[in-house]
Amino acid sequence: MRIVVLVKQVPSTDDGLSFAPDLTVIRDAGPCGLNAADWCAVDQSLQVAVRRRDVQITAVTMGPPGAADALRTALVLGADAAVHIRDEALHGSDALATSRVLAAAVRRLGFDLVLCGATSADSGMSAVPAMVAERLGVPALCFADRLLVRERKVEIHRDDGCGDRRVFVAAPPMVISVTERCGEPHYPRYVSRFDARDKPIAVWGLDTLGIDPAEVGLAGSACVVRAATPRSGGRPDALAMGDPTSVAIRLADFLAERQFL
Amino acid sequence: MVLRLVLGLVITAVALAVAGRRAFLLYRLARSGQPVEPGRTSGVGKRSEAVATEVLGQRKLLKWTVPGVAHFAVFWGFTILLATIVEGFGALFQRDFHIPLIGTQAWLGFLEDLFVVAVLAGLAVFAVLRLTQRPEREGRRSRFYGSHLGPAWLVLFMIFNVMWTLLLYRGAQINNGVFPYAQGAFASEAVARLLAPLGATANDVLETAGLLASLGIVLGFLVLVLYSKHLHIFLAPLNVAFSRRPRALGPLLPVYSGGKEVDFEDPGEDDKIGRGVIEDFTWKGMLDFGTCTECGRCQSQCPAWNTGKPLNPKLLIMGLRDHAMAKAPYLLAGSDEQRAALPKDVLAEVERPLVGTADEGGVIDPDVLWSCVTCGACVEQCPVDIEHVDHIVDMRRYQVLIESQFPKEAHTLLRNLERSGDPWGRGAQARLEWTAGLPFDVRVLGDGQTLPADVDHLLWVGCAGALDENAKKTTRAVAELLHEAGVEFMVLGGAETCTGDAARRLGQELLFQELAKQNVETLDAAGAKRIVVTCAHCFNALGNEYKQLGGDYEVLHHTQLLSRLVAENKLVPVRPVDAAVTYHDPCYLGRHNRVFAPPRDLLGGVPGVRLTEMPRNRETSFCCGAGGARMWMEETIGVRINETRTDEAIATGAELITAACPFCIVMLTDGAAVRKQQGKAPDELQVVDVSRVLLRSIRAVD
Amino acid sequence: MAEVLVLAGPGRAARATCALLTLARRLGTPAVVAGAPANGTTRARAGTPATVTGGGKNGATQARTPRTVAGGPASAATLGRFGAKTIYAATAPEMDEHPVAARVEMLVRLARHRPAAILVAADRDGLEIAGRVAVRLDSGFLSDVVDVTAGPDGPVAVQSVQGGAWRVESSVVRGVPVLAVRTEHVAITPAPAPARPVVTTVRLTFPRSVRAVRQVARHRARPRDLSTAAVIVAGGRGVGSAEGFELVRRLAAALDGVPAGSHAAAEQGWCPPQMQVDQVGQVVHPSLYLALGISGSLRHRAGMRGAGTVVAIDSDPQAPIFRLSDLGAVGDVHQVVPELLAEIERRRALPLIAEE
Repeated sequence: MRIVVLVKQVPSTDDGLSFAPDLTVIRDAGPCGLNAADWCAVDQSLQVAVRRRDVQITAVTMGPPGAADALRTALVLGADAAVHIRDEALHGSDALATSRVLAAAVRRLGFDLVLCGATSADSGMSAVPAMVAERLGVPALCFADRLLVRERKVEIHRDDGCGDRRVFVAAPPMVISVTERCGEPHYPRYVSRFDARDKPIAVWGLDTLGIDPAEVGLAGSACVVRAATPRSGGRPDALAMGDPTSVAIRLADFLAERQFL
Repeated sequence: MVLRLVLGLVITAVALAVAGRRAFLLYRLARSGQPVEPGRTSGVGKRSEAVATEVLGQRKLLKWTVPGVAHFAVFWGFTILLATIVEGFGALFQRDFHIPLIGTQAWLGFLEDLFVVAVLAGLAVFAVLRLTQRPEREGRRSRFYGSHLGPAWLVLFMIFNVMWTLLLYRGAQINNGVFPYAQGAFASEAVARLLAPLGATANDVLETAGLLASLGIVLGFLVLVLYSKHLHIFLAPLNVAFSRRPRALGPLLPVYSGGKEVDFEDPGEDDKIGRGVIEDFTWKGMLDFGTCTECGRCQSQCPAWNTGKPLNPKLLIMGLRDHAMAKAPYLLAGSDEQRAALPKDVLAEVERPLVGTADEGGVIDPDVLWSCVTCGACVEQCPVDIEHVDHIVDMRRYQVLIESQFPKEAHTLLRNLERSGDPWGRGAQARLEWTAGLPFDVRVLGDGQTLPADVDHLLWVGCAGALDENAKKTTRAVAELLHEAGVEFMVLGGAETCTGDAARRLGQELLFQELAKQNVETLDAAGAKRIVVTCAHCFNALGNEYKQLGGDYEVLHHTQLLSRLVAENKLVPVRPVDAAVTYHDPCYLGRHNRVFAPPRDLLGGVPGVRLTEMPRNRETSFCCGAGGARMWMEETIGVRINETRTDEAIATGAELITAACPFCIVMLTDGAAVRKQQGKAPDELQVVDVSRVLLRSIRAVD
Repeated sequence: MAEVLVLAGPGRAARATCALLTLARRLGTPAVVAGAPANGTTRARAGTPATVTGGGKNGATQARTPRTVAGGPASAATLGRFGAKTIYAATAPEMDEHPVAARVEMLVRLARHRPAAILVAADRDGLEIAGRVAVRLDSGFLSDVVDVTAGPDGPVAVQSVQGGAWRVESSVVRGVPVLAVRTEHVAITPAPAPARPVVTTVRLTFPRSVRAVRQVARHRARPRDLSTAAVIVAGGRGVGSAEGFELVRRLAAALDGVPAGSHAAAEQGWCPPQMQVDQVGQVVHPSLYLALGISGSLRHRAGMRGAGTVVAIDSDPQAPIFRLSDLGAVGDVHQVVPELLAEIERRRALPLIAEE
């Protein structure tokens, strides 16, 4: 079974993100690390590998040279090989362009399962797994809160709130995105660090994938950023005060707004 | 006489042969362990002094008065009575033998008899203690719980036999006129008076029979000792001599393999990381196991054992010893064929994992291994200087680094440390939040700057001090006090990361090394020389452990610096703090680093403070439950350590529980909150750092 | 004006749909793309039957019979009130059985007529649908949209990035803009003049691939597992007693969530240790974390930082938990929670969007 895990390097701090003059996001200004949900995705792929003998796990990332750290982490966690897609022309790619590159890489590698972290809803890339699936022409099971890989089918459990709990099934080849609810990833053993040193990280460019540079990056993106302004304070400090009834109504309004009622 | 000589020599030869064979086996077994790290034999002076005070002076044993004095009597009895053994063997050859030069002087006779009586009295005390504290009656609380009780009684009985046979033949010797001492041997003379009426022939027989019996029993006892837990008679001096000095507390040792420190960046092919099987322990470890005499002083102080957890330092060491003995044929076998031919039970023993559950046949249960708070109470108590904490951490190292088998909660801790540099995953950007609202600016050292000349101290804030709500108040109090005293200080802000104490005690040595190297680099780049810390764990790591990585700093705990400032009148406590106060010794400040007086001096200097000590204080302080990375593990077995300690503090009648470590404060605050909710503590009970009491006295604070 | 396609559902979406309509009105003529009539997948509680007539257009056939439209969550009248001029409904069973894939097909089909934009709610299904549609149409996709205005070259979307720390204005330069909107940030307003939407039934023949993902179970039984729960209601010291903890359980039940406790609650024995949320207990990642009487110690915060939305009720306005909360309520748990339970009960009895 060939598993491709799509991973991403993200800032480790809450305020680790800023914008460059060309309005592209600078992600590697501060300390960075493997995206938490991707960590779960690698871990889930290992859990498949524990139960089957013939599993080959390849971690794939797209990004600047620093993104290789995410791959190294994935290799320490237990991925067998890694592919770093690196090309100047990729700078500024939007979700659509990113999915084009990732899908091309996955197709080149060959796959039964593509796993990736379902980043929380407030990340610009949360639709990428579905996009990759669409480009590959395969089903997707997105936002898996629990993942069970069986012999010929994959089952996921999802809790979407408001008592909406569902189980979905599909057959490989397919794309799966997992949430952090899938469980705490295992802590790697010390020797894994040394094993990881010997594992290959292939560097692929757009020519490797046969993609025209005009289709990706700032040039090939279907979206443009017009302006980016920082908002002071981050999360607004919202405090409801007053008599219990009015506080309760404020709470109920809020829950309704966020679709929890 | 000839018969007596022949019999005596035969007994001796047999006993020595058996004993010698056993001793050789034990020696080979110990040598099957790894070499020790360097420094175990250096510092002969200090080591001799330790042997003098702890073995000859029985320093640690005498901490417990009654059993201590009894043991003192028996120990010195055995030493003095070596003279009677010489006399006994002499008497085999020459009936009226006496030790040359001093062998007829009354004082020696008196001394011998005095210690015979003293040993008998000691035995009586031991017997009473063993009866009153027997496990059947006391259960887990008994210090003999799980000890080998039968062999212990047998040893007492054998010593008793040595004594009475000694008196018997000495009494008969007197009656037969072959006794070396004309006077002084009062007990032997009393026995002689009892035996005199039996007549000359009977006394002849009794003399010979008694002498042979006495020597036989002594030799039998020698064999028994080599086959039993009583090995400590011979091993204790060695173990004390080779133990870590000044004590096996404070810094942990780096990971050694084959006597060399392991380079985690480039480990050797055969490097052993931690202890995964019994033969991974060093010969000093083996010596520790062999020396344990099952006295149970360690467990009496153990916070884990005393709150119902399965860890008992005594049973841990016994378990390792019993396993080593059972595996010995395998370890000492010379070839694979020999190993394959071993009996089934030995091979089964070989298969047992060193750490594993009962189902897995493990020697040490994971619950035992992970219950340890590394408070060092066991090490402090152990009369023969066994290094429990080091062994536990070494086994944890293997579990974490090689097996990746450790409590799941601790995964979160390690991941947070790796990603964010602090245990809670807040990240560097949160490290200056504590300064908000202070009436003065806290000077923060910029990137790439070195400390200006006017800065007296670098204030190492620590993760808790920067992030935990209560600890932030302590940091602010210390900052205000330093400011008040005119002490110039700076902080590193986001450049600090965790010192790695918890990671190291959890066994994640690699992560500790990474964090420590980073901090040493930062501190060296800043030109830091004098550092003041508010956390006992940072204190230990920065002050003791960073030396192992080339970081040499003068590290002061804030209580040390503040008490000095008070002594120099730079801070004058004026406002009375009218409160009943008790002080909890943080393990890593007190027991591990011997800082007992400064916090007490601080409290003593504040007018109005009425300080009442808890029953367990200073060296015998009872851990809050947070040490050994237990802060980041769930406590589900038994009762909670922090609540137990809080109860002890409440019982002093304190309105203010003070401590000098943020983690103790977290644990005791939790404990106090639980007891308040249960109505078992007054609502006004507060848990604060010592510095905050001082600040109240310096300035009016709510 | 060109149409703006607004995807209704497939989830509980009445409010979200109205929010999308509010934005869509600024860009063109809103048209709701809905699932099958009498969609059974969500709580159908606001379905007012509406008789509609309308001309078939865009290849869709005319609806002949009066029916309940808009798949339950919002009635045609409600959608009209918020400006929907057209409702595209599809009757195929696939809409129910394979809601995501079928909606992708439906949107792609309707997009042939060059709508000004496609708006979906940025929930789990919405994101998947939007992503696939964007690829199919080779169109720009923007997520985390909190506001939209009409610009000279199409919609200008305001995105909230990094938990609201950045406000980013973006627009789409290729294809039909596909916008995933975080509807909770949209102030809903009804249309100045209510419309009477035309219901158009769309007949679709779905490719086989639509059936690739099967939904095998849908259960409403309360989950027990904290780690996978979407909604967690946790009680702390402020709950006061084991009896007080009952409030936590009741609110959890009312929100279809899982009850939990802080370490203080677990230490007191108000909840079993398996229910403890913090660094040493369970580390959780729910969509909604409701903290009752939890001050938010460092170790507690470390256990629930991964929550999407945090709501806290505590009597101490200085409690650290409020610094992490999207909404904090200062008050006594024992007074606020019963009121909140009553309020939830009251709302459950009412239509989601009042039909005043």
